[in-house]
Amino acid sequence: MKAELKELWRFRELLFAMVERELRIRYKNSALGFFWSLLNPLITVLVMTVVFKYVMNNDTPNFSAYILAAYLPYLFFQLTLLDASQSVLVALPVVKKVYFPREILPLASVFSNFIHFLLAILVFFAYLLVVYLLDPRISPFSWTILLLPALLLINFALAAGLSLIVSALNTFYEDVKYIVSVLLYLLFFLSPIMYFSETVLYSGGLGGRNQLIYFLYHLNPVAMLCTAYRKVLVPPQPVQVGENFYPALPLDWGLLGITAAMSLAALIGGYAMFNRMKWRFVERP
Amino acid sequence: MANDIALSVDGLRKQFLLSHSGAASLKTALLWWRRRKLEHFVALDGVNLQVGRGECVALVGRNGAGKSTLLSLISRIYRPTSGSIAVNGRIAPLLELGAGFHPDLTGVENVVFNGIILGLTRKQVQARMADIVRFAELEHHIDSPVRTYSSGMLARLGFAVAVHVDADILIVDEVLAVGDFAFEQKCYARIEDFRRSGGTILFVSHNMESVRQIADRCVWLRGGKVEMEGAPESVITAYQGDRSEVDL
Repeated sequence: MKAELKELWRFRELLFAMVERELRIRYKNSALGFFWSLLNPLITVLVMTVVFKYVMNNDTPNFSAYILAAYLPYLFFQLTLLDASQSVLVALPVVKKVYFPREILPLASVFSNFIHFLLAILVFFAYLLVVYLLDPRISPFSWTILLLPALLLINFALAAGLSLIVSALNTFYEDVKYIVSVLLYLLFFLSPIMYFSETVLYSGGLGGRNQLIYFLYHLNPVAMLCTAYRKVLVPPQPVQVGENFYPALPLDWGLLGITAAMSLAALIGGYAMFNRMKWRFVERP
Repeated sequence: MANDIALSVDGLRKQFLLSHSGAASLKTALLWWRRRKLEHFVALDGVNLQVGRGECVALVGRNGAGKSTLLSLISRIYRPTSGSIAVNGRIAPLLELGAGFHPDLTGVENVVFNGIILGLTRKQVQARMADIVRFAELEHHIDSPVRTYSSGMLARLGFAVAVHVDADILIVDEVLAVGDFAFEQKCYARIEDFRRSGGTILFVSHNMESVRQIADRCVWLRGGKVEMEGAPESVITAYQGDRSEVDL
């Protein structure tokens, strides 16, 4: 793996060029450019907020900020995996004609989506500021924002590792991208995006095994990341479950540690797996 | 490897899985797990080849003889089944002109990307941009998306980038038949320049006239093996005289 990493470093300029190209192509022929990628989460969150406030009658103040804080990372994860799953297959004609480290293809998808994600987070901060100016009772930032880089790093490792696996497998078995898109869809509901993770702990419908289920729930790294982003980016506030209000739980470092370890394992394991398969891409039967 | 050798291929063997025995979906992979009889096709079967520094070697042979497979292996696109390849210097593979050109990007953007894929840095490409554009004769179109280019223009731009990457070894797969007569002459002139400055060339051609014109040595591949190698004239005579090698 050391030799592979050295080779990848030698070709870093190609990785940059590919990321730049991907960003350029995406918005080359559209007038609104980057704003399209913001419009999607903004509209989604707007609809979710309306449904929550008026249909489900949930009164959490500034609820859209809580949704955004978890939905943006989820969206990064989803778009990256879907992009990456196609990355090698689409580039196969080039791969058959020129040598370069093949892992550059999925990594370019990861990096370009990560850049989008970072820009979206900046817009999110601007949104928090606007909310604060309109309603000074809701303080926009807390010191926990300093933990954001660590979350981004874990998130990046997880997305990159899984992207390497998915792109390699999808090159041989094109069913993989359909499986991935179904799993991602399910992941949306199994992650605390439309609800708070505390809901899982205090829900009355889990037959008293709430502690265990809460733990298992957060073994899903995406769910844990969504919880962590939300706790780090927006100040916690009491959570409404049914008629009752419960205090927000602090960030669970043990669970976050498990997610970090899983993400690192995904990155190393994914890279090893990709390297084992990459020479057979061009010989795909 | 001795310093006067640019390229050394030793006992090279390459086999492929035949496509009808492969599994392109999970379903077939699961259904035929273990029961699948894998059929292999041997494209190269123990090829030995040495190319000296500054030499120009032509590969001839019928379709399916393994010429392109050999060039791809040398360009590191495949990994050999067995045997070894040693390369002394930087390779510019011209297996396809303008590999990776994106239709929606402009000529300039594509030149930068293509140059980097062939091993230049961004700065080096930018320093050569004017030369590349002049060589391709595309001064008026270089800022338009390449989807507006004709196939001749695309090939010219691809060739222009490839010959400006300063490689030590040029690997050419039947790509010189591009553009009009005048541009073809220009390509040959450029290759002549490359040779005079000490560059090494390994190329595949079905055009015996160009083999005679530029090759120092000719290698005839047949069924994945070297059938004959030597002076171009004698190899071409033998190749064309062989009845089983007459293209139908």
